[in-house]
Amino acid sequence: QNNTVTGTVTDGQGVPLPGATVLVKKSTVSTATNQDGKYSINASKGSTLTFSFIGMVTKEITVGNSNVINVAMEDESKKLQEVVVVGYGTQKRADVTSSIASISAKDLKDLQVAGIDQALQGKVSGVTVTNNGGQPGGGVSVRVRGITSINGNEPLYVIDGVPISATKMTTAQDQLGGMPGQTTQSAIAGVDPNDIASIDILKDASAQAIYGSRGANGVVIITTKRGKSGEGKLSYDFYIGQQQTPTRLNMMNLSQYATYQNEIMKEMADVNGTEYFPIGEFANPSILGKGTDWQDAVFQTGLMQNHQLSFSGGQEKSSYYLSLNYFDQQGTIIGSGFDRLSLRLNLDNQLKSWLKVGVSSFLTRTNQRTTLTNGSEAVVNWATGNSPAAPVMSGDDFAGPINVGGYNYGSPYNPVAYATLRDVGGVDSRANGNVYGDIIFNKHFTLKNQFGFNYSVTENKAFQPYATSGSFIIMSPSKLVEDRGVGTFWQLSNYLDYNQSFGKHNVNAQLGHESSESHYNGLNAARQNLTMNFQSINAGSATDQSVGGGIYENALESYFARAGYSYADRYSANFSIRRDGSSTFGPDKRYGYFPSGSLGWTITNENFAKDWKGLNYLKFRAGAGVVGGQNWQGSNAYATNIRLFPIAPFGPGGIPDNVGNPGYQWEETVSYNTGLDFGFLSNRIELSVDAYKKSTSNMLMFAKLPVYSGIGDQWNDIKAPVVNAGEMTNTGFEFKLTTYNINKNNFSWQSNLVLSTYKNKLNKLNNESAAIYTYTEYSNAVTLTKSAPGGPVGRFFGYVTDGLFTSEEQIRNSADQQVGIGPKGTWLGDVKYKDISGDGKIDAADMTYIGNPNPNFTFGFTNSFKYKGFDLSLFLQGSQGGDILNYSKKITEGMVGVYNNQLTDVANRYTSTNTSTSIPRFNPWHQQNIVMSDRFIEDGSYLRIQNLTLGYNLPARIISKAKLSNARIYLTGQNLYTFTKYTGFDPELGAFNNNALMMNVDNGNYPTPRTFTMGVNLTF
Amino acid sequence: CKEDFLDRPSQNAPTLDTYYTNAEQVNAATGLLYNTIWYEYQDKAFHSIGEVLSGNMYTNDSKYATFYNFTVSGNDEQVSRSWYSFYKLAGNATVLVKSFEQKKGQVSEGSYLDKGIAESRFMRGMAYFYLARVFKDVPIVEDPVKLATSGSYNVPRYLQSDVLKFVIEDLKAAEAGLNETDAPGRATKYAAKGMLAKVYLYMHDYANAKAYAEQVINSGKYQLYSDYNKMFTSSTANNNSESLFALQWKASGGYSIGNPIQAYCGPSTLLKPTTGAGWSAIIPSIDVLRSYEPADKRRQWSVMEHGFSRPDWKNVNFPNGFTYDTTWVNSNDDATKVKTGTRSNALKYVVGPGSNGEAVNGTSTDICTYILRYADVLLIYAEAVLGDQASTSDASALKAFNDVRHRAGFSPSVDKTSLTKDIILHERRVEFAFEGDYWFDIQRQGFAKAKQMIDAQERGIYNWNGVVEHVGVTLSSESQLYLPIPSNEVAANPLLAQPAVPYY
Repeated sequence: QNNTVTGTVTDGQGVPLPGATVLVKKSTVSTATNQDGKYSINASKGSTLTFSFIGMVTKEITVGNSNVINVAMEDESKKLQEVVVVGYGTQKRADVTSSIASISAKDLKDLQVAGIDQALQGKVSGVTVTNNGGQPGGGVSVRVRGITSINGNEPLYVIDGVPISATKMTTAQDQLGGMPGQTTQSAIAGVDPNDIASIDILKDASAQAIYGSRGANGVVIITTKRGKSGEGKLSYDFYIGQQQTPTRLNMMNLSQYATYQNEIMKEMADVNGTEYFPIGEFANPSILGKGTDWQDAVFQTGLMQNHQLSFSGGQEKSSYYLSLNYFDQQGTIIGSGFDRLSLRLNLDNQLKSWLKVGVSSFLTRTNQRTTLTNGSEAVVNWATGNSPAAPVMSGDDFAGPINVGGYNYGSPYNPVAYATLRDVGGVDSRANGNVYGDIIFNKHFTLKNQFGFNYSVTENKAFQPYATSGSFIIMSPSKLVEDRGVGTFWQLSNYLDYNQSFGKHNVNAQLGHESSESHYNGLNAARQNLTMNFQSINAGSATDQSVGGGIYENALESYFARAGYSYADRYSANFSIRRDGSSTFGPDKRYGYFPSGSLGWTITNENFAKDWKGLNYLKFRAGAGVVGGQNWQGSNAYATNIRLFPIAPFGPGGIPDNVGNPGYQWEETVSYNTGLDFGFLSNRIELSVDAYKKSTSNMLMFAKLPVYSGIGDQWNDIKAPVVNAGEMTNTGFEFKLTTYNINKNNFSWQSNLVLSTYKNKLNKLNNESAAIYTYTEYSNAVTLTKSAPGGPVGRFFGYVTDGLFTSEEQIRNSADQQVGIGPKGTWLGDVKYKDISGDGKIDAADMTYIGNPNPNFTFGFTNSFKYKGFDLSLFLQGSQGGDILNYSKKITEGMVGVYNNQLTDVANRYTSTNTSTSIPRFNPWHQQNIVMSDRFIEDGSYLRIQNLTLGYNLPARIISKAKLSNARIYLTGQNLYTFTKYTGFDPELGAFNNNALMMNVDNGNYPTPRTFTMGVNLTF
Repeated sequence: CKEDFLDRPSQNAPTLDTYYTNAEQVNAATGLLYNTIWYEYQDKAFHSIGEVLSGNMYTNDSKYATFYNFTVSGNDEQVSRSWYSFYKLAGNATVLVKSFEQKKGQVSEGSYLDKGIAESRFMRGMAYFYLARVFKDVPIVEDPVKLATSGSYNVPRYLQSDVLKFVIEDLKAAEAGLNETDAPGRATKYAAKGMLAKVYLYMHDYANAKAYAEQVINSGKYQLYSDYNKMFTSSTANNNSESLFALQWKASGGYSIGNPIQAYCGPSTLLKPTTGAGWSAIIPSIDVLRSYEPADKRRQWSVMEHGFSRPDWKNVNFPNGFTYDTTWVNSNDDATKVKTGTRSNALKYVVGPGSNGEAVNGTSTDICTYILRYADVLLIYAEAVLGDQASTSDASALKAFNDVRHRAGFSPSVDKTSLTKDIILHERRVEFAFEGDYWFDIQRQGFAKAKQMIDAQERGIYNWNGVVEHVGVTLSSESQLYLPIPSNEVAANPLLAQPAVPYY
């Protein structure tokens, strides 16, 4: 039966494909498309046509009633061909048996962020990324598969083979007085995101084990761009944008505040039994207007700009990539900002047929200015809590408190003055890179040699001037703290690679040695009473100056081996082992062995799967391995060290700094991973699911002891011994779905959904009743979280509220709230706490877990659309189920002080005439209403429109006139809207100083800004 | 790499293996026990407990306020800070004792180590004496290192009487091992004897209290310092003839190494221009001001009130010397006038803005904190002689007592001829006002008497117009005589919520 089928074959972009093969399946009938992509072939109804083209996914279509079959071919999923970067080498995606996520530059291109760590948010399954606030260049919490340890959890970042530290510290603000605030910033922000070609994240132990002792928290391998042979390319990328704090809290304005003041003054006088003297100025609140809006005073519109100029190209045997970047971001809180200047040069040269050499290098200099965040005195807290009666300025000076009716209103710590006048931050300069030489013995054996280096100079400082406002002193004394450090790191790696195929058998192996050494030498100095506020140590007084410093060294020596085998693209297996020796441990405990193994089976390559409909790709992966951890900040904890005091009453001296423990050793993480990769409908739907279990044992920690032991873990304590005591398990599931929804008529739509869960459980500490607490306030007076065996880490710990007391009888019949009964003790309108222990009194035994900051799951959902030259992408990300401790509410809804401004909600507080409310009474007589309780715990779930980008590629006929090969302009909005029930500024809080035990604590966090940018990418 | 590639010993400090090999190193180590280790107590708890609870000082600062209202809970900042400070002192002292004992096995002549051990035990005794008075029944830890490695650290509370017994053992060991005389400021044999007298008095063991006080008096090594005012306002009087034991502060060390008290007590007009501090956070109460007899010069030596002046305290507001002016009317006055709720500021431990050469480094000063003065020994002696009698006319007791009053400006013509408990308590109150001790005097009277004393106090302030707004408190339970154990500690160790058990 003759039946002529005709049609057009196009590529993914709708461009006709000449030369595509069209074959009638199980026959010899075939043809090829013509110049316009058209074909014509004889095929009977019910027969199957196979369309194939090099680099495209082969398509099969059954001939139905229609004799016209148009086919849009798709690029063969890159996933299968793509090369994945693994530790010390690369692997074909098809041979990968462990869990590795890869992101290419194009997935990240429209995220205008300072550092690549931020850009990973919502993009990778199994990786939970949260900004620790909106501070430009600020810290980012990156957690690969849950929380691995109570110690550091940041993954190891390896840039072109050289590990770099993910974080850096700025000088704590308490050096100038007050609280320290958040000091952990992102060191990755020093790396220009535009230079990055790809990122590969090693998520499970079978992938990480080759990094041995440093891989337990995951490894982020960053590969930078390199030149390609061919005509040189010149690119210029530029964007400019502005940022704002998207939300404001509903604080009282002056009129509301005056009303509130009148009410509470009267309430106090009533309780004290004294006469009430109204404040004349507040007598008629309605005429007072809005007063000072302190939020508007501390938030600003921050400008952001980025320029990157790059040149790349190469001849037959050599290639180069050179780029220059300048990035500048003003903060949305006055006085904060970040800028970066960086230069990268990558060279490759095939020097001899047997020798390839090259260099990867970059120089970067960042300059960051931070404001005080996360502490009672954080700018945001001071601003929200400051009285609207107080002015910001007094003439040309920052104003102090203002006297109203004999009372001083307004914080003596004018937040605008503090944010503006204090200059805290640092300049970070780095030279980093490597030189390599690959000796190619023959096509099977290559010896790779690499010398990596990192040289960094950090110059942190904290400065405050002496400042007055008339006779009122805003800030005193003037002070300058300078903190300089020079870090050097080198690493020598040599490894022999072997690769050979025997028919369908493919074998590879690797044997290597690596040694590295890091050295840090720091010096700090502080002086006060600076002549005329000069920001120079030289201008300060030698009296009461302070000087300190220290030298820290670390060395690591390792041997590693890897072997891989695959058969006929069906079965593959990979094994690795590493032996690490670290100077962190005592002479008897230095060495650790970290093995791994993993298997893969590509089921769809089996004969029996040939006819599977719909499911065209299925691969099963499973692996297990052990990774080590030596996450210990203190050095030489195996010996009892002496802490020297330069200033002491009877002359300098020293006392034991710690209790040495020569037996402490490697932390170990054992993990199991299993995963399935699916491709449906000619890979139009790609799905990867992974499940894992990760157990960390021998976790390093100070033996957790009660305070009465007399030794502890505070900076000036005699430190408890470091022991291998903790055990922790994370189980999780991760899911990545990519669908190519539409791809025709010049229109394409692609979706990408990633979803990650982890369930963390602390199994053991050094003792059954041991627990790790985190605190806030001076001298750690308030407990925030408790991490104890049996549950996840970092849970909020406090009292459970049970409504308000509404009758005296109720107070007398309830558990003793511990502050006496009466108007100045527990009284009507005070918070009632549950007597969990049932002993008739509210005390520490009634504190319990009141919230869990660990989310049930986090997700990211990206949709990209293309129509002709236009592209549009919408990226949503969110977090579900984590709780937030809204500690700032202790001030803004605390009602324990007279002068602080309050949320307008407190108008609905309990009073003798307003008794049906959940907001307690105004109570300055005791602090029981604001103790740590579930009153301050809120649901932190959110869904955020993280990014919306509209781009347009200018048509070739226009740009070619300007000798451009590519030109794109785009508009982006970031953090456009957040759906959340959280009542603070921002539900994305991250972890205080990256401490996994102190997540989601809002104590004056820097809200994540909303950003609008406009940019162009030009390539000549 | 070579074998030693991984050997990276600390380049910053020695290890215990190579240290404490001579007297200088040991003396320097014990010297640290007089300083920063006490800081968490000294900073605010010192006033909160000794002065605010006792009604000697008024506050409306939230860091102290619960002490004024007797609404202190186990979550209170000063509760955890005092607990931390005293146990840290005990822990540091004990680790030194153990380290020195270990070293003794390695040297041939170890007398310098013996003295170090005695001095450390003196400090441990001090730590537990405070713990027993502040918290009553508390855990005793004799070897923190052993506890740390034992795997179980749930220590019960021990009866206060046993804790005090433990204190006496330590102080007796110190008495035996300390020198008769030492460098100025170092605890001596007589410091230990004086403290023993104080502990015995607290325990109502009058015979021992008298015996030990007598030994100090008869030694002739101490005498009342003639300038009471200078003793508390100038570090040049540190470790004077009257001081048996005092904390030693160094302003140059800054936070936690210098004495911070003037920052909290002093007025902003005096301190803010140069130090940024001067918070008047705790001020003399109306009640304590009223308790001074008219002829008592200690009032003007201990309190700043309207008209007080110090020509040597100069700052931008007072180029010709500081005056204390309470006629504050409007906000323009705040540079030179101050109007606290009781129209006064405590003067003790205020050394001024540094214009007279006194070391002032931000909130830190050099002035030492007197823990035991000879005046205390004299009054302990008098009280020990009185014992359980209603009154005494014992000549030696009267002499000791009247000596203290003579220095205060009372002429011998008004000498007391008979002493009662109330007379001695009153004398102690005004002699040691703002020195962190009065609460313990009230506490050791037992609940009934303590309640009577506290309930009778005026705890209010003057309003803006100078009228007293009366505030009183009523003690309702004996437990209010002691601070609750910090909540975190109870949560970690449920045994702390159980009744105390005997230690011996």
